[in-house]
Amino acid sequence: MRRVAGVLVVALAVALAVLAVAACGDDEGEADGPTIRIRGQDFSESVTIAEVYGQFLGGRGYDVELLTPAGFRTEAIDGLRNDEIDLIIDYIGGELTALAPDAAIDAADADAIIATIGPIHEAAGATVLDYSPAIDGDAFVVRGDSEATAISDVADLDYVFGAAAACFERPQCFLGYTDPAIYGIEFADTVTIEFGPLLGEALAAGVVDAVVWNTTAPQIGVQGFRVLEDDRGLHPAQNIAPIIDTAVLEAWGPGLRDALNELSAAITTEDLVAWNIETDIELRESDDVAREWLEMQGLLTQ
Amino acid sequence: MIPLPVAQAAVPRGTGLVEWLVDADTWLGRDGILSSGLDTVTLCAAVMGAGMLIALPSAALLAHSRRGELTATALVTLGRAVPTFAVAALLVPVALRRGWGFEPWPIFIALLLLALPPLYLNTYTAIRHVEAGVVDAARAMGIGERSLLIRVEFALAMSVVFTGIRVAAVQVVATEPIRAFLGGDGLGRYVRDGLGQNNDTLIIGGALLIAALAATTSVAVSAVERLVVPHGVRRLAQRPAVRRGSVG
Repeated sequence: MRRVAGVLVVALAVALAVLAVAACGDDEGEADGPTIRIRGQDFSESVTIAEVYGQFLGGRGYDVELLTPAGFRTEAIDGLRNDEIDLIIDYIGGELTALAPDAAIDAADADAIIATIGPIHEAAGATVLDYSPAIDGDAFVVRGDSEATAISDVADLDYVFGAAAACFERPQCFLGYTDPAIYGIEFADTVTIEFGPLLGEALAAGVVDAVVWNTTAPQIGVQGFRVLEDDRGLHPAQNIAPIIDTAVLEAWGPGLRDALNELSAAITTEDLVAWNIETDIELRESDDVAREWLEMQGLLTQ
Repeated sequence: MIPLPVAQAAVPRGTGLVEWLVDADTWLGRDGILSSGLDTVTLCAAVMGAGMLIALPSAALLAHSRRGELTATALVTLGRAVPTFAVAALLVPVALRRGWGFEPWPIFIALLLLALPPLYLNTYTAIRHVEAGVVDAARAMGIGERSLLIRVEFALAMSVVFTGIRVAAVQVVATEPIRAFLGGDGLGRYVRDGLGQNNDTLIIGGALLIAALAATTSVAVSAVERLVVPHGVRRLAQRPAVRRGSVG
């Protein structure tokens, strides 16, 4: 009985393979390579970005599998290393913190970051492609009625400061704000708050007077908060960049690299904010948001 | 205004677990283990106090009068299915909007819901299962209903009631650290900071501290039980188990 089932499975697999080959032959017929598995991280912006890259590549004739979004940066990098996924799109400043937290470089310089994280990924069999002009960086956010316009104005305001745990040990975050050589702010108190909407709730309720959020958080505009100018250039560059399994990249040839770079160059920070408003405030599905944007940009039909 | 030490919550990644645990700065100061531990113990004690005030009298009265057995038990059992973290997380925005701040209400209510089922069920079951012969004998000797409940039924049930207190207290102490993920501090702060800062020493050290406090709580409740519950009642509570053991 088991043998019969085994034969059937093999026959089925062969039939499917033949069909798949036939189907591929019908299409463009040029480059061929393994399925590119893409997985977004478990927050809406990352999910939409993954959809945009996935649908774009699918439209260009690449075999793409969009996996269910899971985890955050750690899981994304682990997935790439363990061959569970082939392509991630991540924020380069965050990559720097995860891969080389103690690197002594100017983290506001995107090229310096790439020069640091590129070789680390390369050694582990992955390639960092061109970064996009789209940035989702740290934002020092205050309520709309604050007197401050730049972060250095906060020094005299005796503010209560709220941020996620990661901020309190980062030189480009809490340590930089309090460092007398940079901003030298003496906060009245600090509160550790999980990253996300809770930051906005706490700020609106007056439990804290300033939080570190991300520049593309849609609640900033909606709840009437303001992002203060980083007048002493502390925040790291947080451009998005695709990071792809080198074997997969090479199997598909240079066309894949060019396609990804073309897409990355087309995405802007304003696009990220617009996507987040659509997914988080208007509660639309991220795959629809992605398709609409690609169609509008004329990137889906090729 | 007191300037904060910049070293706050910034334990270098290379620090070993032992090195971290023997450092005086780890224990003392505004964010030290002692003050964080005190935060945790205070909240847990408040939750347990409120839980016992609510659960013990109501369970004792209902068990004594044999009333509301199904309803109350169903309600409390339902309480066991409520996810503590979800309750606290849902309450946080509500508390913030009402100007109550992050603490202590959301986490207090969530932990109270966690503590009530074991307290209630153990008290109810213990009093309900006091030997009918003893109760009848006490009544025959002319004891009042109130004295019967307090001096006979509750006294005989105390060992099992204490088991409920111990279970509830350990659960509350072991769960309280979620508060660090909801805008609070307490002992959970080390696990939270360790996760956020990619620092294994903080995660493991924090988990060890929480486990140690939970174990200490269990021992402490047992010690109080030894002091409070008379020797005879404790032996009485053990007797059925011994009898069953000798038969089997």
